[in-house]
Amino acid sequence: MRQHRKTALLFLAPFLTVFVAFYLAPVCYAIYLSLFIRRRVGIGPAKEVFGGLANYFRAVQDADFLNGLKNMFMFGVVQVPIMLGLAVALALLLDQSRGLFMKVCRTVFFMPYGIPTAIGALIWGYLYSPNLSPFNQILSALHRGTIDFLSPALVLFSIANIVTWTWTGYNMITLFAALQNIPKELYEAARVDGATQWDIVRSIKIPLLMPTLKLLFIFSVIGTSQLFTEAFVLRPLGYVADNITPNLYLYLTAARDANYSYAGALAVLLALLIFVISGPFLRRIGSQ
Amino acid sequence: MRHPILHRWSSRVSPSFSRCSRAVLLISAWAGLAALPLNPADAQEAYRQPDYGKFQVESGPITLEVWSWVSGLDKAAQLFEQAYPNIKVHVNNVGGGPGEYQKLQTAIKAGSGGPDVAQIEYDFLPSFIVTDGLADLSKYGANDAKAYFVPWTWAQVSPDGKAVYGIPQDTGPMALLYNKKLFDQYGLAVPTTWDEFAQQAEKLNQASGGKVKLANFFPTHAPWFISLTWADGAELFKTQGDTWVQMLNNPVCETVLAYWDGLVKKKLVSAIPGFTAEFYNAIGSGQIASSVEAAWGPGVLAASLNDKTSGEWRVAPLPQWSKGQPFRSGNWGGSCNAVPKQSKHPKAATLFCVWLNTAKEPVLSNWNSYGIFPASLAGLSSPDLHQPDKNPDKFCGGQNVAEVYAQAAQAVNADFAWAPWFAFVNDNYNKQIDALVGGKMTPKQALDAWQNESMKNAKGDGYEVKTK
Repeated sequence: MRQHRKTALLFLAPFLTVFVAFYLAPVCYAIYLSLFIRRRVGIGPAKEVFGGLANYFRAVQDADFLNGLKNMFMFGVVQVPIMLGLAVALALLLDQSRGLFMKVCRTVFFMPYGIPTAIGALIWGYLYSPNLSPFNQILSALHRGTIDFLSPALVLFSIANIVTWTWTGYNMITLFAALQNIPKELYEAARVDGATQWDIVRSIKIPLLMPTLKLLFIFSVIGTSQLFTEAFVLRPLGYVADNITPNLYLYLTAARDANYSYAGALAVLLALLIFVISGPFLRRIGSQ
Repeated sequence: MRHPILHRWSSRVSPSFSRCSRAVLLISAWAGLAALPLNPADAQEAYRQPDYGKFQVESGPITLEVWSWVSGLDKAAQLFEQAYPNIKVHVNNVGGGPGEYQKLQTAIKAGSGGPDVAQIEYDFLPSFIVTDGLADLSKYGANDAKAYFVPWTWAQVSPDGKAVYGIPQDTGPMALLYNKKLFDQYGLAVPTTWDEFAQQAEKLNQASGGKVKLANFFPTHAPWFISLTWADGAELFKTQGDTWVQMLNNPVCETVLAYWDGLVKKKLVSAIPGFTAEFYNAIGSGQIASSVEAAWGPGVLAASLNDKTSGEWRVAPLPQWSKGQPFRSGNWGGSCNAVPKQSKHPKAATLFCVWLNTAKEPVLSNWNSYGIFPASLAGLSSPDLHQPDKNPDKFCGGQNVAEVYAQAAQAVNADFAWAPWFAFVNDNYNKQIDALVGGKMTPKQALDAWQNESMKNAKGDGYEVKTK
């Protein structure tokens, strides 16, 4: 028994080392930092003093942070279903087709996922710029006026568009793989029973996709909570609010305002929130 | 470009010699210099620079890690390596402005991973001073260099007049950069007052059918706006005893913002974020006829436009609020070279910073490669800044650009300070201006919101701040 445990530890060691060094330790450090506040006397350097939960009380009353959370929820409610809906539709279509067409489509849809997020966002930044944007050039050629994709009213949708463009292909591939795993006998049996293609989709494919879909949903929700790069890359191109996503807000609190303690508290609260949201889902998937 | 005598002199004063022999060499170098038969060009060579031999450096081979977004700084660094073969300089461009600051803040908090020398703009310097992460260079003899700089720049790096947190590199006094070809084409006169500026904007709008704007209002660059209020005598931050004072919504700011807002609303000027492809495209394709630019502006534009429209531009003094007033200008940007406390070679870093910003060769090299307008007195007034066949003068049709900006530099109000929370103020400006340009706020409301939200942030971070 003891021998077994040793062997297990040996095999786990590489993972555990990295996990502790780059995951657990920073989390603990962030929690530790979040308990300090800054005291300033006069105009000299600040002193970090123990402040208990002061940063947490400040965070739950911080209108900017709460607004960022609201944006995050809006984003999750609107963008995630659209993206997953598209991914399911594309996966089902691909599953129907055969040969070269399928292979080409599969690669093309998956390609955006292979492009680094920052570079994708930069390219979209050009496509969104008020006068250089090809969309706007077409619109002005048609005398339809231009759209300011980076205006505060639209920028969240512009970001949602980038995220959908990046991730739909990834989700599609995962769903497509799940579809390929469905035994062909089920379809044959259904056809013998007189089922149409639509019946097969509705009664066999979609129900059997559900576990994968739930998992992708969880990943997407977690991804939504971590939204950062797209907003960060678009910022120099115009006005993008500090608190457009909670992650950007806490990054700026840390890196721009050098308020690491408060940023630590924000990060811990955000992590707890995601845990509370995704925990029950994960448990249900695990039990299935 | 490289001056033969200076080069010979500087390469002889190398730290590889012992201090004693270096001093001997120094004397003989000066003696040799005096004994040389000087031609007339060398005779006017009275370029004042500190005695670098006074700066002691750490022993052994040294590599200085330098963070800077100034392109072409590597050329100046190579000159330094030639003069001081024991010191290697590695210039690393980790991103302009905020990109570098965020990495530097993180390195200072972490206690390691930072550079030996960092480029920091004056407006952001206080936010690094309060982290206690910057070395006080007065310990390494930096105050000996004080007399070699424009006084207001030294006040920026040494707020209390004792500790020195950086060596001034450049300044950004403001002037009007205009496209002479477009001005001639539309029969515009170069404005000397803001009233005339508005009239010319109106005239250009009619003449071009609204296609060409007279200038651009930068909606996401607070320091640009601030420089124009600075030119009109505004003070935004100061300290009163042990308390900070912040006055972002003062009457001068309101006058300046209302003026530009009026031009934007009448569509006489564009409002495109600066340093974007959008802006460079507009200015490079003749959609914008002039721009209120700092001294480094023409150089940056020449580089960013890849010499497109080169030779079409000229620089004129900044328009004034009234005709009879004494000439005034403001300042946008400009930066210093600071040494983080975590540097292992603060002495060598100090020498590098002082040398980089006072010695003739690097000062001229930086002006010609990136339009870095010197903060050093000798650099500022050096006739050698005028190189008609090199940028930024070439970009301006061979005009002596430095002369116009040197005049502006002398008209900058010295009493102007920044606050440690300026990074927040800087970003918050974008929010209020977006609402202003979008017609959701009046200039007064935008400035009040700017003042109040910045105040709230500063207080939340523990600062004692007053409004008056």
